[in-house]
Order: sequence, then structure tokens, then C-alpha cells
Amino acid sequence: MKQLLSISLICATGLLLLASCQNEREPNYQYMPNMYESVGYETYEKVEWLPAGTEAQLPAEHTIARGKIPYGIENNPAGKELSRALTSPLDSLQSEENLAVGKELYDIYCAICHGTKGDGQGTLVKREKILGVPSYDDVGRNINLGSTYHVIYYGQNAMGSYANQLNETERWQVSEYVMVLKENLTQ
Amino acid sequence: MASHYEAPIRKPLVLGDKGYHEVSVDIAAPVEGRANKQWWIVFSIALVAFLWGVGCIIYTISTGIGTWGLNRTVNWAWDITNFVWWVGIGHAGTLISAVLLLFRQKWRMAINRSAEAMTIFSVIQAGLFPIIHMGRPWLAYWVVPIPNAYGSLWVNFNSPLLWDVFAISTYLSVSLVFWWTGLLPDFAMIRDRAVKPFQKKIYSLVSFGWSGRAKDWQRFEEVSLVLAGLATPLVLSVHTIVSFDFATSVIPGWHTTIFPPYFVAGAIFSGFAMVQTLLIIMRKVCNLEAYITVQHIELMNIVIMITGSIVGCAYITELVIAWYSGVEYEQYAFLNRATGPYWWSYLLMMTCNVVSPQVMWFKKIRTSILISFIISIVVNIGMWFERFVIIVTSLHRDYLPSSWTMFSPSFVDIGIFIGTIGFFFVLFLLYSRTFPVIAQAEVKSILKSSGERYKKLREAGKPLYEMPKTLAEISAAGSVEENSERAAASRENQVNTLLDRLGTFDPITDKADDLKRIKGIGPQMERALNQLGIYTFAQVSRMTEEEYNMLDEITGSFPGRAQRDDWAGQAQVLNAKKQ
Repeated sequence: MKQLLSISLICATGLLLLASCQNEREPNYQYMPNMYESVGYETYEKVEWLPAGTEAQLPAEHTIARGKIPYGIENNPAGKELSRALTSPLDSLQSEENLAVGKELYDIYCAICHGTKGDGQGTLVKREKILGVPSYDDVGRNINLGSTYHVIYYGQNAMGSYANQLNETERWQVSEYVMVLKENLTQ
Repeated sequence: MASHYEAPIRKPLVLGDKGYHEVSVDIAAPVEGRANKQWWIVFSIALVAFLWGVGCIIYTISTGIGTWGLNRTVNWAWDITNFVWWVGIGHAGTLISAVLLLFRQKWRMAINRSAEAMTIFSVIQAGLFPIIHMGRPWLAYWVVPIPNAYGSLWVNFNSPLLWDVFAISTYLSVSLVFWWTGLLPDFAMIRDRAVKPFQKKIYSLVSFGWSGRAKDWQRFEEVSLVLAGLATPLVLSVHTIVSFDFATSVIPGWHTTIFPPYFVAGAIFSGFAMVQTLLIIMRKVCNLEAYITVQHIELMNIVIMITGSIVGCAYITELVIAWYSGVEYEQYAFLNRATGPYWWSYLLMMTCNVVSPQVMWFKKIRTSILISFIISIVVNIGMWFERFVIIVTSLHRDYLPSSWTMFSPSFVDIGIFIGTIGFFFVLFLLYSRTFPVIAQAEVKSILKSSGERYKKLREAGKPLYEMPKTLAEISAAGSVEENSERAAASRENQVNTLLDRLGTFDPITDKADDLKRIKGIGPQMERALNQLGIYTFAQVSRMTEEEYNMLDEITGSFPGRAQRDDWAGQAQVLNAKKQ
């Protein structure tokens, strides 16, 4: 009995010792990591021999990927005026669905500053982390569908571009939703 | 003269004038003696082969299976050939110890121990191959259905390769238990004879405190019978399962229902041949000719002949069925075996397995030790080629001619095979020096029925045992009174001489010691010693061989006990402690 106790004690200590070898600040030990590390290049993998040391490289300029159309309007005051004439390429018969998606995307990407109602009272503004966010019904701004799209694409003043976060369809969906918010605010 | 009847036609199984003691002495001799030069030479050769094999295995595992001669078409060759060959060799041991036990074959007594050892050592060799032929052997534990962190991912129980795992591991463990159980009384015999303390310690450990009581023996017999009953179906199923590796496939030449019994017959065939090879050498080297007699060799030859004929029948059956089936793939498989690029291996297998055992029909040949030895080796070569032919010739030419190819082994294939042979002999040679190679307890159980000495006594109508004459009986010639007087006088004389040598005990000046503290002296012995006048450790410590003998003569109990336990040495230590 005594022997059994001491044996189990030794085993328990051994197990504890083994378990305590894991350091939470480092990845754990692996047993035979045969196919754990990728042979091919992973998207954001560090690659010594490529410029900037990353696998993610910029495409050559002036190339057009399949399924993509360049925006075509430049990022300057004249371009912004030009953009006012743009119309939505989305199917008007599906505007409800588009608006629903637009709301979702708006709440994720825009509402943090602009507020869920578009009144410029987002969480960051309320907490005074950021100031000077105008309301959509600001007469001085006078936004319309095309200019909203333009601003999402390039950004304006303190606002950065959202072209990385949203694709073309999504930008139009958000723009349409912004128009709805503007209408609600003016009423 | 006993009520025992044995047919006079039966030849003695233990030759020479052997009593129980001679059996013990003969069997313990290799264990108690020292290894001679030849043993060391052979052992070194085997060890070198083994180490070479270990090197090849390490090279394979660390570099990859590509070091072997396998290719995409022939993806099993030497690995599985050797595996099946070793498993097959292992089968004879269990057959001898289990099946022959069930059939009450007394001649198995002298060969079962070594046959079982051979089983265990060859199954160990076989067990290597399923691991080392894996691409990733470090994940071999995945074949075991253990709960795990992959959502309890389990094995598929439909694969004969998994059944192999269960078959081989069960077979090894059951054989090991069966073997070790049989070894207990024999280890106890060595333990009781051992003089060196280290040897005594080891053999008392491995004999599990066997004391040979009636109850122990009764249970021992029951366990042996039950294990034999279990091992027999096991033996048949293990090689059946091994044959399923091929028989359940769709490969022409493999997909056959005849494989299970035919593989088992082949296993017995090759296994007995291996036993024959080993025992013919062992009886000579270990001087066991009196126990492993020509009759044993002949009987094993008969088994080889019978199983060889069964294997021959199976070959013919396969050929007939191939022709009869009308399946051209099957027909081509056999045509390819006989006339394809590996025709020589098919021819070799046919000659070695079908022709060679048939010579055993001649009594002169099957009782010739030399020819038996040669044929036993020939059979194992043939059986190796049988597995090679089945595996390689069926794989290298099958359904799609575009995938037809050839196979040739690399030095690693061959090296690993040589390594397993080396490993086998390393184990077997160590075994033959440390284990009682013949089950002395079992041989003793047949000694009176089948020993030459007792057979002769029975035939002559003499009693099998006569009480040895004691001192008292020798002097019984005189009158009873005179006799008892004389006996008493001589006893007193003896006691006096003994006490003269050991020193007398004076109850006024000396103090009596607790003699029971000496290992081997109990209360009864202490009383007997006290009666003689021996009371102190100092007296006991003066005893030498002569005094021991005198003491034995006076007390007449446990002869040799005092010497074995080294009472004097113990008493010396105790006496020193006291002062």
C-alpha cells in the first residue's frame, strides 16, 4: 500500500513536471510537427528574400484584375464635383436587400464616428476621442449618392479611405443607406 | 511393480540411466556452467548482424522508406515477406506446447521450452516489420483505438492490418505468459541449486516464489491446459489474420479463400523446420542427446512431411482453381509465377516446399540427423520464397499492363532481414545460457513412464524404487539390543567429536544465543542443535564442510542445508555484531 502510494506520488509529480514545461508566453511543444509548417507561402508570411520582407507584394501599376473596374475619377475637388453625377449601379428592384446589407456595413465601418443615425454622434465623438464629425443633414456639406461613394473611396479631411474594407458593391450599398439616413435626418 | 501399463512398442523418450537428479543436473548444466569460446564467437556474429540491422532500421526510419527497393507498384516486398516468414516460424512453438499438449503427446516435453522460446523471439522479429515498414512509424500508436484529442478519432476495424496488430500483440503476450508459467518450476529448480548469491537472487525473482505444493501443481496443470486450449485457436487465427492481409484484397493471386488454412499449414511447416534446425544444434551443444532423441527428430520430421504435403496440396489447388476459374487475370498470375521474370523463385519454392519434405517418407532419411538438419534449412528457404512469390509476383504484374514493373531489394532491405536473424540468435543464444532449455518438471513427469531406465526396470519386473539403506539398517545385522546400544554409543561419540571441534558450551560462563536468527535455522533445528550442545553463534561459526557433514549425519534432517545457507558465515557476522 505504502509502495503504491509512493509510486503514484512519483507518477503525479512527473506528470506535473511535464505539464509545467509548457510556457504560456511561447507556443507549446509539438510532437513530430510533420505538416505543421507550410511548405508553400502563406499570405502574410515573412519572406526574407522579397522586398519589405513579406509575402504580400503590390501588384504592378496600371494592371486590371479580372472582375475589377478602375474607379476612374481622381482624388481632388474637381473629381469630387464630377462624382456627384454618378448613379448607383445596383439593381433598384433589390434596393431593400441592398439597404439591409448597407445598414449592416454602415454599423460596422461608419457608425463608430458618424453615429447609427448619421447625426455625427458616434461613440468616439460622444467620448470626445474625435471631434468635428458633421451630420449628414449639414447643409454646408450637401452630400449626395455619388459624392458619398467618392468619399468612401478616397476619404476626406480626417476620414481615411475605406476602399480596402469595402468592395465596389458594398460601397454603393453603404452609400444608398447613407442617403436613407440623410433623408430621415432632414424630415 | 506398478500398475502402469505402457505399450511395449513405445520407445523411450529419455535415454540412458537417468533418474530425477540426473535430469536436473543435465538441464541445469548449461545455466550453471560458463559459456565456452564457440558460444562467444557465435554470439558475437549474431550481435554484429543485429547491430548492422539496427543501423539499417535507423537509416530507414530517419531517411525514408525510399531507401528500400520498393516502388509504386510493388509496395510490399521484403518487409512483409519477412514479417510473414517470422510469424510463420513462431507458430511451431505454440503448436508444440499447446496442440501437442491437447493431444497428450509426451514427446513434446523435451522440445516445448525451446520451441516456445523460438516463438517468442521470432514474433519479436516479426513485430518489428509492421512498425519499420511504416512511412511514419512514430505515429504507429494511432493504430491503437485510444481516446484522443481529435474528437476521439478511432481506427477502422475493417482492415486486416489492424487485425494483425491485435493478433500479433495478443499472440506475443499469450505465448509469453504460457512460456513463463511453464518456466516457474524450472526457475525454482535453478534457484534451489544456485550457489552464487546473485544467481540465486535473479532466479528467485523470476520463479515468483514457486514452492511446488500440491495445490500449486494442480492449478499449474489447469492453467496450462486452459492456456493450451486458448493458444490453439489463437495459433490458427493469428496466421489466418496474417493471410487475410492478402486474401481479402482484390489482387489476382492474392484473392483466394484457401489462404487461411494454407498459410497456417505453411507456418507449422516452416516453424517445425526452424525448431528442427535449432534443436539439432542444441542437443549437441548442450549435451541433451538423451532428451532430444532421434525419435523426437523423426516425429518432427513427420510433422514437417505432413504439413509440407498440405502446403503442396494447396499449391496444386491454387493452380487448378486458376485454370478452372476462367478468370484470365488469375490464370495469368499463375502463368507469370511459373514462367515470368521471377520463375526462379517459384521454382525454388516448389522444390524446397513440395519436393524436399517428401523424402521424409523414407525412414532412413527421416532418422538421419544430418539430412534432417539440411532439409530443415531448405524448408525455411523455401517458405521464405513462398511468401516472396505470393507478394511480389502478384503485385508486379496485375490488372493494368501500364503499371507492370519489377522489384529488386536494396542493401537496406537485406540488411534489416539479416539484422532480424542476428537479433533472433542473440536472444536465442542468451536464452540457451540462462534458461532451463528443457522443461525439467515435465520431463520428470514422464520419466517413469517413458524413461529408458524405468522402462527397463519394468520389463525386468523389478520395482522402480528401492529405499536407500541407512546406517541403522546396515548395522541391523546384529541383535536389536546390541544394535541400539551400539547406535547410541556411536552417536555419543560423534556428538563428542563435533563438540570438541566446535567448543563446548558452559551454561555458567556463557550465554545462549538466539540461533533462530541464522537464516535456515527454525525453532525445531534450534532445539536439535541445543540438544547436541550447540548454543552460541561462536560454536556455529566454527563449522566447516566436515562439521556440516557430521551434523547432517547426527541429525539426519535437511542434508546439505547448513552448507547451502552458509550457517557458519552468518553466525560469524552475528557473533561479530554481538560483541
